[in-house]
Amino acid sequence: MTGNYRKWPMILFLGILTAPIILMYFYLFVDTVTNSPPGSMIPNEWTAEHWRFLFTTIPGRPSIWTATLNTLLFATTTTSIVLVVSSAAGYALSRLNMPGRSLFLGGVLVLHAFPTVTLLIAIFLILQMVGLYNTLIGVILVKTALELPFGIWIMKGFYDTVPWEIEMAGLQDGATRFQVWTKLVLPQVKPAIMALGIFSFLAGWSEFILPLVLAPDNNVQVLSVYLAGLISDDTNFDMAMFKSVGVFYVLPVIILFTFFQSKLMNIYSGGNKG
Amino acid sequence: MGNSNAEIAASGRVSAPDLRGGAPQLTRLQKIGNSRHLGLYLMAPAFLFVVLFFVAPVLLTGVFGFTNMSTATGISGGAYLANQSSMRALRDKHDFGELADQINRVVFTIDEAGLEAAAQAGASAATLKELNAKFFGQSFGKRRDVERAIKTLDNRPSSTRAIKAISKHFERSVFNIRFDSADDLLAALNKFGISLDPQQQAAVIDVTYTGWVFTTDNFKRMISLPDTRTTLYNTLFYVFTTLILFNVGFALVLAISTHYMDAAPAGFFRSVWLLPRITPPVLYVLMWKWLAWDTGFISAVLGPFGIAPKNWMLDSPTNAWTFIILINGMVGASMGMLIFASAIKAIPTSLFYASEVDGATRAQQIRHIILPQLRFPILFITSYQTLSLLTSFEFILLATEGGPGGSTEVWALSTYFKALNNYAGSLEYGYGAALALVLVVVGVAMSILYLKLFDFKTLTAPPKIE
Amino acid sequence: MNKRYKATLAALATTALISIGSGAALAQQYDIDIWFVGGDSDSYRGEAIEIAADFLQREAAVRGEDLSINVVTKSFSGWEEMKQGVTLAAEAGAAPAIVAAGHEDIAPWAQSGLIVPIEDYIDVDAWPVNDIYPNLLEIASFDGQLYGLPQDAESRPFFFWKDYMREIGYSDADIDGLPDLIQSGGYTLQDVLADAKKIQDAGLVAEGYGFYPRVSNGPDYWQFYTSFGGTIENDEGKLVFDKEAMTGFYQFFVDAVELGVTRKNHLGTPWDQWYAEVANGKAGLWHGGTWHYARYTGKEGQDDFFGNIQFSLIPAGNAGGQPNTLTHPVVYLLTQQENDDAIAIAADLVKIASEPRINALHAIKSAHLGITKAESSVDLYAGDRWAREATERLLPFATAMPNNVNFGQYWEIMFGGLEASWTGQKTVAAAIADVETELATTLGDDIVIR
Repeated sequence: MTGNYRKWPMILFLGILTAPIILMYFYLFVDTVTNSPPGSMIPNEWTAEHWRFLFTTIPGRPSIWTATLNTLLFATTTTSIVLVVSSAAGYALSRLNMPGRSLFLGGVLVLHAFPTVTLLIAIFLILQMVGLYNTLIGVILVKTALELPFGIWIMKGFYDTVPWEIEMAGLQDGATRFQVWTKLVLPQVKPAIMALGIFSFLAGWSEFILPLVLAPDNNVQVLSVYLAGLISDDTNFDMAMFKSVGVFYVLPVIILFTFFQSKLMNIYSGGNKG
Repeated sequence: MGNSNAEIAASGRVSAPDLRGGAPQLTRLQKIGNSRHLGLYLMAPAFLFVVLFFVAPVLLTGVFGFTNMSTATGISGGAYLANQSSMRALRDKHDFGELADQINRVVFTIDEAGLEAAAQAGASAATLKELNAKFFGQSFGKRRDVERAIKTLDNRPSSTRAIKAISKHFERSVFNIRFDSADDLLAALNKFGISLDPQQQAAVIDVTYTGWVFTTDNFKRMISLPDTRTTLYNTLFYVFTTLILFNVGFALVLAISTHYMDAAPAGFFRSVWLLPRITPPVLYVLMWKWLAWDTGFISAVLGPFGIAPKNWMLDSPTNAWTFIILINGMVGASMGMLIFASAIKAIPTSLFYASEVDGATRAQQIRHIILPQLRFPILFITSYQTLSLLTSFEFILLATEGGPGGSTEVWALSTYFKALNNYAGSLEYGYGAALALVLVVVGVAMSILYLKLFDFKTLTAPPKIE
Repeated sequence: MNKRYKATLAALATTALISIGSGAALAQQYDIDIWFVGGDSDSYRGEAIEIAADFLQREAAVRGEDLSINVVTKSFSGWEEMKQGVTLAAEAGAAPAIVAAGHEDIAPWAQSGLIVPIEDYIDVDAWPVNDIYPNLLEIASFDGQLYGLPQDAESRPFFFWKDYMREIGYSDADIDGLPDLIQSGGYTLQDVLADAKKIQDAGLVAEGYGFYPRVSNGPDYWQFYTSFGGTIENDEGKLVFDKEAMTGFYQFFVDAVELGVTRKNHLGTPWDQWYAEVANGKAGLWHGGTWHYARYTGKEGQDDFFGNIQFSLIPAGNAGGQPNTLTHPVVYLLTQQENDDAIAIAADLVKIASEPRINALHAIKSAHLGITKAESSVDLYAGDRWAREATERLLPFATAMPNNVNFGQYWEIMFGGLEASWTGQKTVAAAIADVETELATTLGDDIVIR
């Protein structure tokens, strides 16, 4: 935007700082399909052996497909619940006058900066009481709860930007508040729902500590735990295979990111389109 | 780090006031539909989630912090158990050595009551008759011995379980038996001829209880341990170094330098710097390990220059901290980058052009035009990332596990180790909860402070129509 | 694969006398979960239970009962995760029926009622329990009750790379005599440092590779405490913190770092790297476990183990110290279940899995040592030179960690102190002082400090 300064020093400067990241991602992909001689970083042959985990189940571990399915279920369900609950609550907080509104809003603000992981022991106990320990549903509910304050806050922020005229026009036409919300206001915040959806999906897809502690069973294992398990297994160490599992794990994320990057930026900068 | 939602959501409010400021003031409309009730319905699911997984855990953590709950005590309650260690405590702590010796033995006696009980439980009459004839009145010091005796019978039961079903009725001692209540234990002692005075009763109840009890020892222990201080310093160092260098500092560098670029390279750099944030932590840290390990990239590159391969990440506390801060910082920087960039974008372009006409250097532009505009966003990032860094430990756990020698162990990680994850399997829920409670208190206090700082009233302005 | 074992095991059918309850001959269906730690080489920790289940079902069928057992195995990569998983699952009433855990878990788990004594469910006088080494049964007991059956035994030897010992002046006869010399206390950890230094100075191994210890926390480190004359638990069953022995133990590792024969940042080295190095002569002296044999000769391709590597007890720390090794049996434990019959089934499965022939599968595949005397008569076991020699040379001198409710805390604190002094975070004296403070505040009366 400002034409009078030279641009290349900036590009060079950032380029150097960015090189390690590019390098790491480059090798992440390269190492999964090649072999390098010991002590060297330059591959000397192509191979598909690092991807064998796709076809053979490693003893004592779930199949990668079970883990993938669980991760998918986990991420999509979490996302759906977060979207439904936070678009409802966000609307209520943004637009509706109700008892305890300011208290709740303050609560949401405090909670979204809360040391949740330190509450794990207590969260475990509650899951156990309701009989959902070691189930996918249990972890989904916990993850959803932890994402909610953020989701509600974001949705409230977006609702705040919707002009009041839309609602008033709707009300004057005789619609109820509920109809106004679902028919008129929700379509206005579609970008927000999209962005929050992608964000929640990524968060769910990446989650590690919660499933690790709250659902240790093989048949509810997710990819993050699967991968971490491989890495910490000291008798069967194979960096190239870990990376392959890693690539398998991260591909959906990269694809989502590539297609929805601008939408995601929306949420990271808080719906500010200016 | 900053992968937590906190700082992201924080940004939501950066723009909120401006946008709301632009909305027209509206008059109250007549009430159509009951918005009070609708609001409650819409809030209900969120409320339920929050109560169940936030409020309740906080309260429970508060309670647990004042208990000695651990693997050995269990969470859900204890029993009354006389065993070697409780009897040793009865002798050492309460000085009832004689009583301890009395309780500390196993007795099985073939008597009338036992035969009757076994008969009632359905043991074969022939077996019991023979047992009565051959062993009546005899006592055994081990369950194994009674069972050996039963096995000598001609009419012995056919299965091990059936033998055990008979032998248990002849036990005349309380040793190694779990009683659900203290009264049951005392009653059993009484039945076996060991009567206790009230003082002895209290002592026996005290030492035999296996469950957790309320105590303030956790906090005393926290204060007296030398490592607590180390962990505290580690935490402060970690939070503020990462925050200043990356989450704010480097984020500014990224935002400002991409501002002076064309759209294409700027977009490229921003996307690349977002990669660490969207990559799952397990994989992201694995890539760093690949970079730093003995057989990793750094060692391989430096090898030809005569530098021996080594584990660069765990080589020294300095190295470990460098990596931890880089790992967290690269994730954290992208957040500030986006927020700062959008704030810079909001500066009218005419300002930049005007200053250029006046012959301002780039440095002067940054100093006099850009930075003043970023005051509020910087304050925001600082506040919220402090909190999220304070409570994060995932990356450290995956990268160094707090090593080398505990030098990168921060408070949240130490809590996780104490309460849920250690090699010896001694999970101390109570002490862990006490440690967590400190974080909870600090976290809530800081949140409230920030709310005051950022003017909570404007955030919660009442709705404009009813 | 089950078929083959079924055939092999058919011969044992008559020896095991198992009957389950006196219930009616209705179809009984049990789901038995077994959790263990280990990768491919430890797979028999789970598979042994599957074999046993097949067996038990056949026995039931012979008796005319309809019994169906579904065994679900789950392996964890780390002890931390498994212990956390078992503890939390047990609190939730969903513990796996069988856990293959370290014996030191018995005490806290028994105290909290998480596990039940196996002797309440099986006849300890009957085969094969009566053939299990008595000291192993002792290790599986707590407060006079037998809680589980040992699943394997091992010991943790000290290793020497023979070529390098030759290079620094040891004759072949010297090397052959080394185990005996160590056993008699004539070669101590101080000699270890001296030889490691010589090997390094001769340029045979890289800096920091003269003495190449275990890379993470483990029972191994208690051996060095014992080497310097330390006792972990006294006869009364109380934990003991022997400051002098602990100081000697910490100082030994600090000396190794200062001499340059061990790296300051050694702890935390990836295991795969460590295995590859020690198995291929990158290190001079090191210590490990009997099961390392499987890894060295398997994945790492060490073809001439006995030609290249000498093994012995862990040398005494100093002249007054005690050469020793530590055995850390993994034990099959039974958790408290709602259905008592399920516990009984699990107990029977564990008992059958302890049959010499089944146990030998695990022992040889994972290079652990057998648990029963009769195992030496199983061809698979008897034909294995490593199992034979290691059993003979090491097992008689093996100590074990105590089954004590507070031992886990002691262990964590001990290792914290070692790590701090090893990495130079604290001086040995400061580390010992901090360990003492922490032990005193954490364990109070439950530990004797001397």
